[in-house]
Amino acid sequence: MDFKLSEEQELVRQNMREFAQTYVDPIAAEIDENSRYPEEVIKKLGAMGWMGMPYPAEYQGAGTDYLTYAVAVEELSRSCAATGFTMSVHTGLAAGPIFYFGNEEQKKKYLTPLCNGGALGAFALTEPGAGTDVGAATTMITKDGDDYIINGTKTFTSNGPNGDIYVVFGWTNKEAGGPKGMSAFIVPKGTPGMSVGGHFKKMGIRASQTSEMVFKDCRVPKENLLGQEGMGLKIAMGSFDNGRIGIAAQAVGIAQAALDESISYAKQRVQFGKPISKNQAIQWMIADMATEVQAGRFMYMYAAWLKDQGLPYTKEASMAKVWCAEMCSKHAAKAVQIHGGYGYCKGFKVERLMRDAKITEIYEGTSEAQRMVIAGNVLR
Amino acid sequence: MAGVWILAEYIEQSKELLNVGRELAGQVGVELAAWTWSADWADECLAHGADEVFLLPPLSADQGLDAYIPIIAEKARTIMPEVILVSSTLRGKELAARLAGRLDAGMASECQGLRWDGEKNSLLAERLLYGGAGVQTVSCLGRPQIATVPPRTYEVASRSEAKGGRLTEISGQPSSPVVILEHKSREHQTQDITRAKAVVCVGRGMENQQDLEKARELAGLIGGEVGCTRPIAEEMHWMPEDTCIGLSGKIIKPDLYIGLGVSGQIQHLIGTRDARIVCAVNTDENAPIFAGADYGIVGDINEILPMILEEIGAVKK
Amino acid sequence: MPNILCCYKWVIDEAYIRTGPAQALDMSVVDYKISDYDKNAIEEAMLLQEKFGGSVAAITIGRPDDTKGLKDALSRGPQKAYFVNDPSFENLEPAQTAAILADAITGRIEYDLILCGEGSSDLYAQQVGPRLAEKLGIPCISYAVSINIEGSRIKVERKTEEGLEVAAAPLPVLVTVAPDINTPRIPGLRDTLAASKKPVEEIGLTDLPGPYEARVQTVGIKAASLTRNGQKFSADKAGVKALVEALQKDGAL
Repeated sequence: MDFKLSEEQELVRQNMREFAQTYVDPIAAEIDENSRYPEEVIKKLGAMGWMGMPYPAEYQGAGTDYLTYAVAVEELSRSCAATGFTMSVHTGLAAGPIFYFGNEEQKKKYLTPLCNGGALGAFALTEPGAGTDVGAATTMITKDGDDYIINGTKTFTSNGPNGDIYVVFGWTNKEAGGPKGMSAFIVPKGTPGMSVGGHFKKMGIRASQTSEMVFKDCRVPKENLLGQEGMGLKIAMGSFDNGRIGIAAQAVGIAQAALDESISYAKQRVQFGKPISKNQAIQWMIADMATEVQAGRFMYMYAAWLKDQGLPYTKEASMAKVWCAEMCSKHAAKAVQIHGGYGYCKGFKVERLMRDAKITEIYEGTSEAQRMVIAGNVLR
Repeated sequence: MAGVWILAEYIEQSKELLNVGRELAGQVGVELAAWTWSADWADECLAHGADEVFLLPPLSADQGLDAYIPIIAEKARTIMPEVILVSSTLRGKELAARLAGRLDAGMASECQGLRWDGEKNSLLAERLLYGGAGVQTVSCLGRPQIATVPPRTYEVASRSEAKGGRLTEISGQPSSPVVILEHKSREHQTQDITRAKAVVCVGRGMENQQDLEKARELAGLIGGEVGCTRPIAEEMHWMPEDTCIGLSGKIIKPDLYIGLGVSGQIQHLIGTRDARIVCAVNTDENAPIFAGADYGIVGDINEILPMILEEIGAVKK
Repeated sequence: MPNILCCYKWVIDEAYIRTGPAQALDMSVVDYKISDYDKNAIEEAMLLQEKFGGSVAAITIGRPDDTKGLKDALSRGPQKAYFVNDPSFENLEPAQTAAILADAITGRIEYDLILCGEGSSDLYAQQVGPRLAEKLGIPCISYAVSINIEGSRIKVERKTEEGLEVAAAPLPVLVTVAPDINTPRIPGLRDTLAASKKPVEEIGLTDLPGPYEARVQTVGIKAASLTRNGQKFSADKAGVKALVEALQKDGAL
């Protein structure tokens, strides 16, 4: 049992912190305000090796373990949850399925540019009528000679408007049902028949681009099928297991930022002739925040560690995700409370944190969906 | 013969060191000697309390101060003074450290306070460490005991009428493998205020845009940049947006922040809380800036700023 | 093709220092870092290598478990590190540090240029560079803001009170760099991971002639008062004079 990050992991954390402070902090408020995708930062992350962290060097990844990757997501999200999420979707949900289920050729062709920062990955599963209920999807994929033809509409596609490589899910055999009838395909940007909608105006993580996607007779060669026909649901669920560790880490990053801001504001803000940090009411809020941020960190790190050990981690990833997300929302709201009226105004970071926090309870499986996973695991 | 030596690049600083040097020499019961390379300064040193002045031969045009190191070190080996005080200008600091290295002597750098410990028979020096978080008291072991002292730490010694001091011309050839090819005077360049060592911040209390020039002059004097509060950029358009200091602007960490007519709203103060020293001038004595300031003057910047320029100008000349 | 050696110190990160009871410094939660100015020295070594080729090695002194600093330093680019370590190498004063470095370097490490930060972020004594040059018997140029290598000599712009001095000296030479000479890079992920695989040569106390006695003794350390004292001065010439003197005393001018 060891609760210490290795020297190398500590350095990775430190360098990501410095990167985020240098390049992300100065623009975080602006990209939130303007819903702007920080392409310059993502390119820089790619050039410095951060966009393919847990994948092997042969695909130009950095070859770290998943724990190190999650720590980096936390540190990046501490400065900007949207940028952290862009990295997390790209790594966990786009590069992930290709690495775990793709064949050698697919990895060379698609995983390599994802890892070296040349391409941004996106994940297209959710549909207007199929959120948590993945089986309600209506996207149909039919075989036509050596090609497949995709027809359907996806929504809430993260990194949709600016993605280069999409992982797209749909039915290849609707009759076979969920576990056997879905398949996943790699669809590069610009494939005829694929159109990407404008990005949604969201409450939070506004700098992360999310859109609708329409596939109309979109033809992809059979070489782009991930794994085998019928493996789609397995690929999606496996990707979510990975992605959820990233979201848990992101939530801890947001909560840590809420804690950082609260501590510094409470020491600075004077009411009744003394800093409000001298008031027990404020102290208790901050003590709870510090405690639960720490607890959340241990949860996502444990899930990541299980994965690195090759042990089952689905339940722990869901536990970390649901707990960290709800902890994050709760404490981001508390941070606004500590800031009083100022916290309710633009310009104070906690206002953004509170909006950003909410999404962690929703995407990559709502809190309710996580509880379904957990219950399914402990009640069987 | 063994004594207290002082050495400075500029005569003002020689006089400051003569002041503290006199005190130490008295406590130790030794003579006070000053090193210089100018006959005029030699007279000045004698007039300000030096018992002896060592007059160094002049340097050639391509020699730097370090060319004196061999000569001074040689003399120190023969005389073995108790204490050598050097004014900590950049060249002074290097000279002192190399002298210490050559003589294998203990040295206390950038001392804010010096006193003689009669019991231990040694120099006690106070200095800052950990970026100003701590104050360290050190004593030098062995002889000579070397200390560098920042300019203006001590008042200049008063002029004394008693002239008993003697002038000793030091022979020897200044030499150094380092040649000086050129001197360039300081030019002021605008840079990112987040990296500036010193920041002069202009607030709404500045009434005339022309006064910005004075703020720039002050920034030039203290080797810093000019920043502003949000209204100055956003409402008055006097300065670019990227010089705004505060929560929605730049967070700065300078050694010195001088607020001119800045009231100190919380949004602004968040941008300045990491400044090491905060200094404020504002007409409103209840302005929040004063609670977040180390030093304050309640007054009109139209009156105070020219005085500050004059005073700091005198220090920096 | 110069062989460049850059020196760095692994120091307490002052941001973690708290004030304890009775003005004592509370070091219970401190973390360590590469001294800020030494990051400039390492960066300058890398920039010079990019321009002039040659090699870059880093050298440090510390306790045997101060290994994180080695990875940090190596992630910034140097190809090799020398780790002079002994359990007793703690709270060394500048004379000791310079003497140990000189003995570790002499006869063991080939160099044309030694780079040091102008001072360390903990003690900021600004002595080790010049003292080391003296021990090695090589020229020293301090507070450099730009460095150029011209064949077998070095040309340096150094800060002075009046502005800049352009100085030149034959190699080998020691230069201390001012923080404005460059902006140290933030190591990328690949650099960080590669650091663990670079060679580190350990040099122990028994490999050195020694002993290394302190020339300065710390009698006491207490916390400086960090709260804003809100001292007011009068709005006249005397007040302004007092203010400027206070700033002077604080070393803020």
